[in-house]
Amino acid sequence: MAGNFWTSTQHLHWQFSKPGLAEIRRKLEQEDRALVQQYPLPDRRLLSIYFYHQIGKLGKRLTIRQQALATAQVYIRRFYTKVEIRRTNPYLVLVTALYLACKMEECPQHIRLVVAEARNIWPDFISSDTSKLGECEFFLISEMRSQLIIHQPYRTLLTLHSSFSMTQDEINLAWSVINDHYLTDLPLLYPPHVIAVAAIFLAVVLKPAQASLHGSNGSAAAPTSIAQAMTGTPNRYAQQFPATNTQQIGSSGAAPQNKVQYLVNWLAESDVDMEAVIDCTQEIISLYEVWEQYNDKVCKEQITRFVKARGLDK
Amino acid sequence: MSPQTYASKVRVQDRYKVVGFISSGTYGRVYKAVSRHGDTREFAIKKFKPDKEGEIIQYTGISQSACREMALCSELSHPNVIHLVEIMLEEKCIFMVFEYAEHDLLQIIHHHTQPSRRAIPAQMIKSILFQLLNGLLYLHTNWVLHRDLKPANIMVTGEGVVKIGDLGLARLFYKPLNSLYNGDKVVVTIWYRAPELLLGSRHYTPAVDLWAVGCIFAELLALRPIFKGEEAKMDSKKTVPFQRNQMQKIVDILGAPTKEKWPGLVSQPEYHSMQALAATMHSRGSKPPGLEGWYNQTIKNAGYHSSSSPGHEGFALLSALLEYDPSKRLTAREALQHPYFTSDMSRISMNCFEGTRMDYPHRRVSQDDNDIRTASLPGTKRSGLPDDSLISQPAKRLKEG
Repeated sequence: MAGNFWTSTQHLHWQFSKPGLAEIRRKLEQEDRALVQQYPLPDRRLLSIYFYHQIGKLGKRLTIRQQALATAQVYIRRFYTKVEIRRTNPYLVLVTALYLACKMEECPQHIRLVVAEARNIWPDFISSDTSKLGECEFFLISEMRSQLIIHQPYRTLLTLHSSFSMTQDEINLAWSVINDHYLTDLPLLYPPHVIAVAAIFLAVVLKPAQASLHGSNGSAAAPTSIAQAMTGTPNRYAQQFPATNTQQIGSSGAAPQNKVQYLVNWLAESDVDMEAVIDCTQEIISLYEVWEQYNDKVCKEQITRFVKARGLDK
Repeated sequence: MSPQTYASKVRVQDRYKVVGFISSGTYGRVYKAVSRHGDTREFAIKKFKPDKEGEIIQYTGISQSACREMALCSELSHPNVIHLVEIMLEEKCIFMVFEYAEHDLLQIIHHHTQPSRRAIPAQMIKSILFQLLNGLLYLHTNWVLHRDLKPANIMVTGEGVVKIGDLGLARLFYKPLNSLYNGDKVVVTIWYRAPELLLGSRHYTPAVDLWAVGCIFAELLALRPIFKGEEAKMDSKKTVPFQRNQMQKIVDILGAPTKEKWPGLVSQPEYHSMQALAATMHSRGSKPPGLEGWYNQTIKNAGYHSSSSPGHEGFALLSALLEYDPSKRLTAREALQHPYFTSDMSRISMNCFEGTRMDYPHRRVSQDDNDIRTASLPGTKRSGLPDDSLISQPAKRLKEG
């Protein structure tokens, strides 16, 4: 339920093991093998970056808060565990997910306004007929079995940051890491508090160069620095604490050494699944590595190919 | 068919047999149904009204209140909260399938007034309140505000189990993106509306639901609403008017709130309207009986024997629920620990009918409209439940018989 993650539908129905998730996707692709072979797509994370950029454009036009964008991204990810992407018009799915997320996050937008703005951005892919969006909403809700309440790591971050006396920069950095985790499968793999702890861990302990990370749209638009700072670090993170600690000297915030020590002790004493936290940090870091290969144009072309060839924009 | 055309995988008609029509409201219609696949339970299927453009039903986007109800009901699971069996989206319509409850508090109260007034047994009231608060504690623990508690929304099964129903106005209250006030300007049927809402409070809390529980408690004792005010309509500019008449009804019994007892009173948006109302009362020299006076008279009229009366503990609980200051009003947890319940905990049954020999009539199920697929036939409008889109309309009261 909403107050208890462990009895929520998110935990009961929408958390998978990595092999479990891979199997679901393998089966889905197998059902449409010809289609999948005919229309290759980039790495899922690259596609997620593309989707995020697209949905961000619409979010900006409608001035939608990050939390609703995050919920929309989870809806999209859930939906595509049920439906083969090449059977859909991803632009319509994106717009619909955002429209629905806004209602669930208590910042509703009128359907006509959403469609009008979406048409300004993707005139070739979004019909002016609002009933298309309404129909897609049925599709989305039905595939998600009306399980629309999303527990997000932001709340955990807001609860915990004072216990670790995080500086504003560290909070911002952890916030950006949480924004970025929606580009990976992590929302389908781990509980939000584990992700929040991983984000805090990355922000406080590893503390990469903070340049440009919390830029205009709050996401890691230029992730190179974080990737460089983090590459290779998390694997045997425990042994690296001394080194990390020395790097902290002179950084902002009160008594950074104590802060790191406190966090390490807290993690050791807490019930938080450390293996899961480590895996989350690794997934985030490899996201930043993959990001290097991101090419907006390739994603766009490959999506356009199957949407146009199959008339999914009609 | 293009690959993106939505088609339901399961069909309502294939899984359920509609046996009758229960009620209609602003949201749509409710039908009674049985399973076609050997499930022996009965069901209530709530069909949300589809939007029409002319005669053609169109997808126009699902209302926010339907989205909330679908999402919240999918998460909730508690014996005192109505159980959602499944949701089906088919033919541009939403069907929410709930467990069936034979009775509701409105119907039970009504039965006790016909043909003559007979008080509801004190043990039954205690059981109803205990179960109601139990369900409410579950909702509040899970950050859900119900916002529309009233007798018509409290279901009771044939086995005497109380179920909080109709979460059409419910919503989560942690860290809202917009203040709760922005979303829907007016909530809660006016007779059950808490004073802080009447005074225009923007930061309301679970305490609004506890006020409504107090009103329901009083209604179970008196068999009529305790504060039966008339709703002031929204004007053409859609500004929310001060609900003077409703506030007057409360003040007539409780007396005017004071800033000594309710320090937050002075910061309520309608504080000055409240002062004016209190001044008028004062100049007329009218002296409210106080809740204790009302309670004693009500208990006397009900004719409870001293051995089975809700007694002084009942009054203590009622006055702690009908507390002006929302920060002093009992929480659901505190109410459950009140001496009214704890002094004879062993006697509280989870079957509110236990020990009573009343035979409550079954829910009326009409046969006028058994076709769940057609939405055009007229039905008897039973209770107009407020929807986000219809908040300006006064709540309609059940008209039976």
